[in-house]
Amino acid sequence: MFFLMLRQSFFRGRKRKALATITIVLAASLITALMNISIDVGDKMSKEMKSYGANINMVPKSENISLEIGGVDYNPLEGQVLIDQKELPKIKDIFWHNNIVGYAPFLKVTAELAGSGKRRVPLVGTEFDRVTPVAGDEEFRTGVKVVNPYWQVHGEWPADDDGGAILAGAGLAREMNLKAGDRIRVKVAGEKGGEEIFTVKGILTTSGAEESGLVAPLQVVQRLAGLEGKVQSVSVSALTVPEDKLSRKARNSSDKLDSAEYDRWYCTAYVSSITHQIEEAIPNVTARPIWQVAASEGAVVNKIQLLMIVVTVAAFIASGLGISSLMVTTIMERSREIGLMKALGAADWEVYLLFLSESAVVGVVGGLLGCAAGYGLSQVIGLSVFGSTVAFSPIVIPVNVAISVMIALAGSLMPSRLITKLYPAEVLHGRR
Amino acid sequence: MEQIVLETKGLTKRFGNVTSLDRVDMQVRKGEWVSIMGPSGSGKTTMLNLLSCLDAPSEGEYILDGVATATLTEKQRVAVRREKIGLIFQQFHLVPYLTALENVMLAQYYHSMIDSKDAEQALVHVGLGHRIGHLPSQLSGGEQQRVCIARALINQPAIILADEPTGNLDEANEEVVLNLFQELHREGRTIILVTHNPELAEYSDRVIRLHHGRVQNDASAH
Ligand SMILES: Nc1ncnc2c1ncn2[C@@H]1O[C@H](COP(=O)(O)OP(=O)(O)O)[C@@H](O)[C@H]1O
Ligand SMILES: [Mg+2]
Repeated sequence: MFFLMLRQSFFRGRKRKALATITIVLAASLITALMNISIDVGDKMSKEMKSYGANINMVPKSENISLEIGGVDYNPLEGQVLIDQKELPKIKDIFWHNNIVGYAPFLKVTAELAGSGKRRVPLVGTEFDRVTPVAGDEEFRTGVKVVNPYWQVHGEWPADDDGGAILAGAGLAREMNLKAGDRIRVKVAGEKGGEEIFTVKGILTTSGAEESGLVAPLQVVQRLAGLEGKVQSVSVSALTVPEDKLSRKARNSSDKLDSAEYDRWYCTAYVSSITHQIEEAIPNVTARPIWQVAASEGAVVNKIQLLMIVVTVAAFIASGLGISSLMVTTIMERSREIGLMKALGAADWEVYLLFLSESAVVGVVGGLLGCAAGYGLSQVIGLSVFGSTVAFSPIVIPVNVAISVMIALAGSLMPSRLITKLYPAEVLHGRR
Repeated sequence: MEQIVLETKGLTKRFGNVTSLDRVDMQVRKGEWVSIMGPSGSGKTTMLNLLSCLDAPSEGEYILDGVATATLTEKQRVAVRREKIGLIFQQFHLVPYLTALENVMLAQYYHSMIDSKDAEQALVHVGLGHRIGHLPSQLSGGEQQRVCIARALINQPAIILADEPTGNLDEANEEVVLNLFQELHREGRTIILVTHNPELAEYSDRVIRLHHGRVQNDASAH
């Protein structure tokens, strides 16, 4: 009979239940969307922040002090200690290899441009977008396009194995009237410096020093400079967690950590532990966090996550209040029914049970519908804010149904007290 | 002498400083049909609420079917109501989302056990055998009142208490309900009926007239 009443109350009182269910659906979808996004937002935001460039810079352990004037290094490269390019895939061997989004090697030499009074410009060799087999991923693609997404090319990117392709920096191109398709003769400075005729594939905008020089595939620059297999520095882009007390302590001096702290630091994707691990993997390099990037990333992600939590809690409370007032209305409307049940001999708890069960069913139905709606909503938000879909976390479903039932019950609990206060004598005999 | 089902001694009910019921003494015998009449505000409904254990008296005694009820707790009064009393209301008070049959079964459910055969039989008894699957909104006033009567009868209560059962009905339906009460009376049920309608009171064994909460007159209707 109890279930019969529950069922009939739903099927024959659909309209009345619809409002409560809709409230829950709205709340649940909002909470689902927010939860989904806040679970994913850390990764999403970190990736997003990667467009501001690499957050780790690798240089040889004893890099010579370069003698740079106007972006042109007058120190001959021959004497410099360089990094072996063969070592680089080891970056993807470290404990946090999954957090390494990509890396790009650089070799910067000074070049003379023919036909313009032997003008000296920096020539940077790098990889643009190359398949680099690493442990566990034969298809790993990396290069400057991954690491520095803000580099923009007007024209087309050179292929990494195209020996005759080059990018001209926007500043240089403006001064020398270069445009895509032009051919230029470039000679690397120094005795061993080779010479090559390149085709300008595109004009590069970076808002950095690269704009006043040339950028060519790494292999070509290595060959022209006679430094096969060598690179000068590497930019690494890693997903990191925000700095906290432990990482700051480690930053001051890693000796002061006790072993438990050290383990915890090592096994957390702090930018400092990742650089430490890179240095372990490749002995002859120094890896340094680019702190401005690393620190602001963490702060922004933290703030956004906090914001999401606040909004989620607000949604929770708002819908609880909504349900609560709906429930008060329902009890007012159904006071005769309640009075009748009591007059027929129903105990208070039996009436409670019916009403709370109704709420619980509303919660479950609303929660499930809300999950579906919320999934859609989170995709819409994901697409419009981040330009990509949000990963769906299955954990959200049970959590959300539980939360919905809780909202429904919590919202019903206070008004249910009215049931106890309701005297059948007052509602049954014509007094209203 | 027939068995006394219900007895009050000095039954009094006050609301604040209003005395709605003032030292009422009365006895109702088994199988008797008693009408309670009186002007509006004379305390008829208050009386019925006390008799149906929906409310507790301020003073006085009320013995129902051998049980002294005046000093019972709310919980115990719920039990007495469930076991001994059948209630009929002016506004029927059917649960809107339950069918006629389910409404009758609801009384069984809170009383003891549901038995749809019995419930159906009770509806056949009040002439609604063909309407058992209808919702209250699909029934006329008279039909709804008959469902209410079937519900009041289903648990074989010691007394049936009705507060202006024809107050919301037109004449034709009033007739139907009156006939039903007569039949219940013939079956030997104890009925206490609050009514404004002298015609209805005509058929009862006895009429008690209330005035300002006091019994003004208690006499055979004939
Ligand atoms: N719950 C209550 N609170 C205050 N006064 C009440 C209450 N119930 C009844 N009364 C008062 O008691 C008197 C009798 O009311 P009632 O029994 O409803 O009369 P009747 O049913 O004969 O019209 C009236 O004066 C009414 O105002
Ligand atoms: Mg009245």
